[in-house]
Amino acid sequence: MREYFLRRLLQSLLVLFLVSLVTFALIHSAPGGPVRIYLTPGLSQEAAKVQAHNLGLDQPIPIQYVRWLGDLLQGNFGYTFKNHIPVAKILWPTVGNTLILMGVAWFLSLIIAIPWGIYNSTREYCLSDQTAAVISYLGFAMPTFWFGILLQELFSLKLNWLPLSDMYTMGQARNILNLLPHLVLPVTVLTLGFLAAYVKYSRSSMLEVLFQDYIRTARAKGMPERRVVFRHALRNALIPIITVLGLDLPILVGGAALTESVFNWPGMGRLFVEMAMAREYSVLMAITLLTAVIVILGNFLADILYAIVDPRVQLAGRGGRSV
Amino acid sequence: MKSYRKYQKYQKVFSVLVALLTVGLLLSGCSSTPTANNVSNANASTQPVDGGTLTVSSFSDIVTLNPLFIQDTASQDAATFLFANVYDLDRQGNLVVEPWSLAKELPQISADGKTYTVKLKDTAKWSDGQPVTADDLIYTINTIRNPKVGSPGISGYDKVASVKKVNEYTVQVTLKQVYAPFKYYLAAAVVPYHILKDVKAKDLQNNVYGKDPAKTVTDGPWKWSEWKEKQYLSFTRDPNYWGPKPHIAKVIYKIYADQNTEVQALIKGDVDLNTGLPVTALSAVKQKKDIRVILAPGPLYEYLAFNFKPQNFPGNFDPFLGQKTRQAIAYALNRQGMVNDILKGTGRIMNSPFLPGSWADPGSAAVNYPYDPAKAKELLKEDGWTPGPGGILQKDGHRFSFELQFNAGNSRREAVAVVIQQELKNVGIDVKPKAIDFSSWIDQNVNPGKFEALLLAWSLTNPDPDQESIFSSKYFPPAGQNNIWYKNPKLDALWVKGYSTNDQNQRKKIYAEIAKEISTDLPYVFLYQYGTPEGLGPRVHFEQKDRPAPSLAEGYFYHIQNWWVTGK
Repeated sequence: MREYFLRRLLQSLLVLFLVSLVTFALIHSAPGGPVRIYLTPGLSQEAAKVQAHNLGLDQPIPIQYVRWLGDLLQGNFGYTFKNHIPVAKILWPTVGNTLILMGVAWFLSLIIAIPWGIYNSTREYCLSDQTAAVISYLGFAMPTFWFGILLQELFSLKLNWLPLSDMYTMGQARNILNLLPHLVLPVTVLTLGFLAAYVKYSRSSMLEVLFQDYIRTARAKGMPERRVVFRHALRNALIPIITVLGLDLPILVGGAALTESVFNWPGMGRLFVEMAMAREYSVLMAITLLTAVIVILGNFLADILYAIVDPRVQLAGRGGRSV
Repeated sequence: MKSYRKYQKYQKVFSVLVALLTVGLLLSGCSSTPTANNVSNANASTQPVDGGTLTVSSFSDIVTLNPLFIQDTASQDAATFLFANVYDLDRQGNLVVEPWSLAKELPQISADGKTYTVKLKDTAKWSDGQPVTADDLIYTINTIRNPKVGSPGISGYDKVASVKKVNEYTVQVTLKQVYAPFKYYLAAAVVPYHILKDVKAKDLQNNVYGKDPAKTVTDGPWKWSEWKEKQYLSFTRDPNYWGPKPHIAKVIYKIYADQNTEVQALIKGDVDLNTGLPVTALSAVKQKKDIRVILAPGPLYEYLAFNFKPQNFPGNFDPFLGQKTRQAIAYALNRQGMVNDILKGTGRIMNSPFLPGSWADPGSAAVNYPYDPAKAKELLKEDGWTPGPGGILQKDGHRFSFELQFNAGNSRREAVAVVIQQELKNVGIDVKPKAIDFSSWIDQNVNPGKFEALLLAWSLTNPDPDQESIFSSKYFPPAGQNNIWYKNPKLDALWVKGYSTNDQNQRKKIYAEIAKEISTDLPYVFLYQYGTPEGLGPRVHFEQKDRPAPSLAEGYFYHIQNWWVTGK
């Protein structure tokens, strides 16, 4: 087990390094750099050089990379080009904000979707199943920003029940009571999106298991249906769901740029888009790396969960490797 | 300083940067007559009340509030609340001394026109209690002039020969030559010498001044109290402010990531003032009766630019070199149609680079090109174009076909580009509109002058008509902004003549001459002056004399010291 962890850790570090190298190269080869965006066309070439020099942007790219890496190893994400604000100061608050929004939506959709999917798998094509199907179609087909705008129109502008946007009302204490009403609309939008996928996954992976031979055997030996479903079928059905959840984990941090923009939620998805447009390399690098870490973590967590739900899976170390 | 900023509000994110281009420009123009007739004080509260919060929305966050480095609209807007200017502008764009201006009287210009004597009030104070003195003004001018600083304002200051302290509150600025637009350089903020004097030139840009509210000492009516990046800035009335006390106690400068949400926030009342309503949202906003919309064109004009450097075209064949060809293109375009259909009335046709209504407005001296496709075809024929395959004209074996570049995401330009394509097709010219991501476009095409034709705008940040740096052959890239490689010796000389006298009547005649020549020769087809509609919520009040002045840069906050808010 320890050996397995260690190997995974080393692999992950290598992956992170490669990700940073490739991203850095890609970002810097994109046309239009921060200097250019920042500099005024009317500036003399001389002044332009002075600014680039003051910003450290006249160094060759490999040297800039090594510097960036050095800073990173000391826990420093660097500074924004335009105004020399520490990246960490901009980044971390948005990570927290996104985590709140996405976490609530994700958790909500899971506790609704998995039981509902299981229920529907045992009663195929009943009313509940049909409803879930309709919701899935809607969730897949409806652009989130558009749904968001609809909700804003209705619940904020027409009925005036809920705030239009933002995380907190300006000029009031920034506490949970202020936060909750602001969460309702964006969480609804996001939950619908998640729900659409998760209900379908859990239903179909349950259905697949329910027709396996060992389930028939369990039923044949007179086991109560509830026990068949939860004890025997569910554990196996969870495996593909875990895979999907593991892959989705980065969304929790990456956020949903469109939903965040529509609801003016100060999250990371929105930050990434804005920073990409502004060519703020250091912020983009930090976000990319952070996302990479979460992707790796997500996969890792999924592997561990496999071992928990599926006794056949053994994490390598002793004997076989079945991951 | 004031004249360096990008125009950053309109349309989607990229449209925005139009103004990068404008920056660095001693552009001119905009003292047009006040046209905000539709601004009445709807639910008038006739007596000003003290206190309350004004919420202003913005589509972008600030970059820095250090006046030495401000070049984007958001930062310039926010700085309006925090910094006093040496001089202010009146509605017509004239230099004036207001009770909140730092200067005591208008600058005295010496007989030879080169020396400006600026007298400051002895009452003005920084928010830390220190007086605002000659040292601050001298430091500001010399810092912008210092090439090691990298201030975007530097290009305008190359005409300054020396800056001299006469006494604690009097400064003399001497220019190397007579340069009429210089007075507008004084309609700008100063920075505190006592705070910045020990910062090395090269470290100024990265200094916390202008980024950390606690360390940004200011001299305006409001103090900077908070900055939540990408969310909001807040300004609170400075209890020790030296000038007339403003009515509004607190200003929130709130940042929205989505323009639709920004508009909804105005409708809902979360926001009191929107400085750049998208034209597409106007009908929705107008349905709300208590929201006032100001629809006057602002200090911006859009143009279709031709490139005069044959190397930019396949086979080194530049189809635009014939004057008649350029005139034909002007005749082929229905500019009034664009103003009516695309700008929805927020624009006005232009025939020269001088804004209608400004003192330099040449009126009928500039040639007007009414929509006349028949005339266009005739001129093209006279210039040697003959019908070719597919109805496209040709000359010497070259098809009349060109690429029209503009920035992606700007819905106004997208619409105009399609209209241009259609209307030029009608006269036998093939246009390929091409939308490009703004930052790479500026970098690779606009600045180095590598394109065939452009659809772009200039934002005129000060009311002087001088535009030498755009049209004179002294300013080819990379040194200047004449990125169309246009050379007209007559105009080159006229531009110099235009700023070499301080006599406005004489200047007016020179700019009329320029307008005539430039509208005949047509390096650009001047399309229209346009504006960003301003939306005002029901809580905002002002007297008629203090209403917004859309023709000025930052005119949406005109005399905001005198405004007041009610309710909530």
